[in-house]
Amino acid sequence: MDGKIIVVTSGKGGVGKTTATASLGAALALEGNKVAVVDMDIGLRNLDVVMGLENRIVFNVVDAVKGNCKLKQAAIKDRRVENLYLIPASQSDNKDVLNPEEMVKFGKMLRRHFDIVLIDCPAGIERGFENSVVSADEALVICTPEVSAVRDADRVIGLLYARSITPKLIVNRIIPQMVENGDMLSHTDMVDVLSIELIGLVEMDDHVVISTNTGMPLVLQKNSKAGEAFRRIAMRLNGNTDVPIQVPQSQKSIFKKIRNKLGIGG
Amino acid sequence: MFNGLFRKFSGRNKDSKELAKKRLKFALIYDKLEVSDDIIKNLHKDIVEVISRYFEIDQEALELDIRRSSEDLSALVVNTPILSAKRKKDSL
Repeated sequence: MDGKIIVVTSGKGGVGKTTATASLGAALALEGNKVAVVDMDIGLRNLDVVMGLENRIVFNVVDAVKGNCKLKQAAIKDRRVENLYLIPASQSDNKDVLNPEEMVKFGKMLRRHFDIVLIDCPAGIERGFENSVVSADEALVICTPEVSAVRDADRVIGLLYARSITPKLIVNRIIPQMVENGDMLSHTDMVDVLSIELIGLVEMDDHVVISTNTGMPLVLQKNSKAGEAFRRIAMRLNGNTDVPIQVPQSQKSIFKKIRNKLGIGG
Repeated sequence: MFNGLFRKFSGRNKDSKELAKKRLKFALIYDKLEVSDDIIKNLHKDIVEVISRYFEIDQEALELDIRRSSEDLSALVVNTPILSAKRKKDSL
């Protein structure tokens, strides 16, 4: 097997990296890929709780990288989604416990065992970032429509370019009504400022909180707009580039469109 | 419509996202101008090298400065006294 490694990063914390990693991992596995999601937020692990696998951790990514256990032992198999594996972070170490050389070697091993590896990068641009991107073939930058998030995303995009990785952008937590009112940066504003290729738009969705509460994969929840958006991004990542990017719209504008279609002026 | 009315009364005429975009663009330009001393040193060396191909200059006196202003875009300012122009033969 010669899989590819995709790092999920953002610079700023709290913009939805972990949710995106868990959701894309599940969606890619549902499409038939053997997927590993790796939590690189050493010392502050969270991907395990988001995925509902926190009770099954025995070994972690540090053990696997250092050779204290086999890769198979550190990779927890998800029981709800076939072909999905989690390699959790260690909670007791800090980010300096791993170095980029070890991570390159670990990446090679991961590529042999999985079709797609998603790396959940910690916030920041220090060692944890370095360790997460060093073996990546591709990168996804998650950004919310806020000035602070966009600025950090720009910094991270620059660092990725310096490593010859051309990242793709996911805009997360879009509130369509605010965009329509001119009170939230639109995805075109963000693409304009960041000069980067867009791969998906994710609407603000209560289901994300509910899914994190229960540990159930978002992409398995019915009627979740965010879940649907992540499934579409996964399809695009999987090579179905003709899947169009849907722009989230408010109820109001949907009704307006229907009215226009029916010929009842709005 | 109500939104427009609200805006008129609250004195907010412009979309706040336009302001966000403008502030972002400036912030990003500023951020990228924050270059390290190493980069400045290397740039200084390279510029001296290039100019010296065409003019004789006082290498120590060359000044390099990045100027930022909030209104216009920023400028890289190189200031050097030229001692003499090199002869054509030399410049080739």
